[in-house]
Amino acid sequence: MSPAIELVNTLQTFLTASVRMAVPLVLAGLGETYSEKSGILNIGLEGIMLFGAFASFITAHLTNSIPLGLAAGMTAGCLIALLHAFMSITCRADQTVSGLSINFLVSGLTSYLFLMIFGKTTTLPVCPTVSEHAVPLLSKLPIIGPALFEQNGFVYFTMAAVLISWILFYRTEWGVILHAAGEHPQAADSAGLNVSAIRYGAAAVNGMLTGLAGSYLTLSLLGFFLENLTSGKGYIALAVVILGRRDPKGVLLAGLLIGAADALQFRIQASGSAIPSQVFIMFPYVITVAVLLFSIGRSSEPAALGKPFVRSRR
Amino acid sequence: MKHVPTLISYIVMTVLLFCIACSLILAVGSSVISSFSSFFNGVLGSWYGFSEVLVRATVLILAGLGVSIGFRTGFFNIGAEGQIYMGGAAAAAAGMLFPGLPGILLGPIACASALLAGGLWAMIPGFFKSRFGLSEVLMTIMFNYIAINIVGLLVRTVMKDPSYPLPMSPEIPQAMQLPYLMMPTRLHAGLIIALLSAAAVYLLMWRTVSGFTMRAVGLNPRGALCSGISCTRNILLASLLSGGLAGIAGYSEIAGIHYRLLEGFSPGFGYVAIIIALLGKNHPAGIVIAAIGIAGLQTGSMTMQRQAGVPASISWIIMGALVLLILARKAVMQMYAAQKAMGEQRS
Repeated sequence: MSPAIELVNTLQTFLTASVRMAVPLVLAGLGETYSEKSGILNIGLEGIMLFGAFASFITAHLTNSIPLGLAAGMTAGCLIALLHAFMSITCRADQTVSGLSINFLVSGLTSYLFLMIFGKTTTLPVCPTVSEHAVPLLSKLPIIGPALFEQNGFVYFTMAAVLISWILFYRTEWGVILHAAGEHPQAADSAGLNVSAIRYGAAAVNGMLTGLAGSYLTLSLLGFFLENLTSGKGYIALAVVILGRRDPKGVLLAGLLIGAADALQFRIQASGSAIPSQVFIMFPYVITVAVLLFSIGRSSEPAALGKPFVRSRR
Repeated sequence: MKHVPTLISYIVMTVLLFCIACSLILAVGSSVISSFSSFFNGVLGSWYGFSEVLVRATVLILAGLGVSIGFRTGFFNIGAEGQIYMGGAAAAAAGMLFPGLPGILLGPIACASALLAGGLWAMIPGFFKSRFGLSEVLMTIMFNYIAINIVGLLVRTVMKDPSYPLPMSPEIPQAMQLPYLMMPTRLHAGLIIALLSAAAVYLLMWRTVSGFTMRAVGLNPRGALCSGISCTRNILLASLLSGGLAGIAGYSEIAGIHYRLLEGFSPGFGYVAIIIALLGKNHPAGIVIAAIGIAGLQTGSMTMQRQAGVPASISWIIMGALVLLILARKAVMQMYAAQKAMGEQRS
């Protein structure tokens, strides 16, 4: 094989892996973007993703049906997100505290339920995974073809979700309403909008997308479930939202950047170097810190982010 | 009868938690009575059991105090877990570097290096928060994952015990090991350090000027700034102390229990510390009580796992539900008060 072809092949595999690692970050990041634009900060992303992953796994394992698994993941994510929404909107609680306790709750609940259903088994229970579908013609494009058009439905859905969210945010009245709830809830209220309902709606969308990110982990990447398998991906998705400046295109690019770092780490690790694996496991987190440093001074936080809306108070 | 609604709200909370626990126990097919009896047996049944609660409370008090200083100053330190690891690593490193020193010197050196390591590890996010407004929540969480892997790396490379195949450091010098307080149990002098630290934190936060300025920054950063109090400096100081106390918690685990640096020597103590700071309302006395309570919950659920077959992760579910219920209770009480005020206005 000539060196040029080899380079193209390596690049293709690397890009494909990057896209695969980026999908959960972009999906959860998009979900969080809806939530933050409406004014709710959701640190519970990690818990939502973990619960989505668990629910999808258990449903797919028991019924052997992927559509049911997907539905379960989205429903589970939605439930947890609505719990957070209830705490932050109706109870006006501190959103960081609520999100963190949701993470603790879900982390305990998933390991509890997993042990309850499977006991202490030595064989790892598995679930069916989604298969790839190549898009005719487009997948034959050099370098980017396999990465973008020879993937499973999750990847196509993610690309569509980025586009739809962008149109929704910046080209429809819904986008204006969503931004109003997060930037100036009092003004939105005076204009006759129901701020609480908007925020609940945004939280539900967040739950579905982040739950789906969890489903992707079990139904596509792994095919099995482990305790705390999200291992900080939810928190990394929060960093993706900050770097992407709550813009769907930005979230996509930021997710791809960290996904590429993750893919690179796996690639070097698999090539059998003598460096201890801890260095590679650490890599995505270090990159996330670096990414956060790059976002210094470019923050575009919605004015009312994290602040409960009290109708009678100015 | 002003306190009746408060009392009722607490009873409702307890009943709800009890129902959650019961349904979880029933779901795994264990008996509620035997589960609860093994729970209380593990915590209060024997002096040894209760001493184990205090052993766990030691590290939780120290880390909880650390988290509370951060919370009081408006630095949301979620990174106690990583700071515990850095503190433990620094303490073990001190033991490896100065093996010949007498205990009276080596102990304080190890403790101080743990404080410094944990403190500096927290100060990096503290710096970026105070100077550039970066989210310290995300930064400290990322620093947790990084610290855990740094310790994993250390015990495999520079700090590895060559005579042992497992990734762990050599045993620390005997002079550095914290003495036992009550011999058949594992209760060690770390508990005294923890209680002294609680007193010191109280004096610092409520009886000194720096404590006052730190709390002022936490209550109202803008107001503090307008009165000439530097937010940057106070957040830096708070993050240093916050991480430092978590670092001492790591020192106490290494010098009091394990005597070596191990991978995963903290099974989430730093995260439990956040819950303890919240339950203890960020006050040292409250933190000591909350730490003993949560240590009891965790120790009891481990006995429950051994004797009644109920997974010990039930304690995380209870802790998460407890904080959510406390948040919800506050909201319900506020709504109740508002409604009562409206009613009085009308009549």
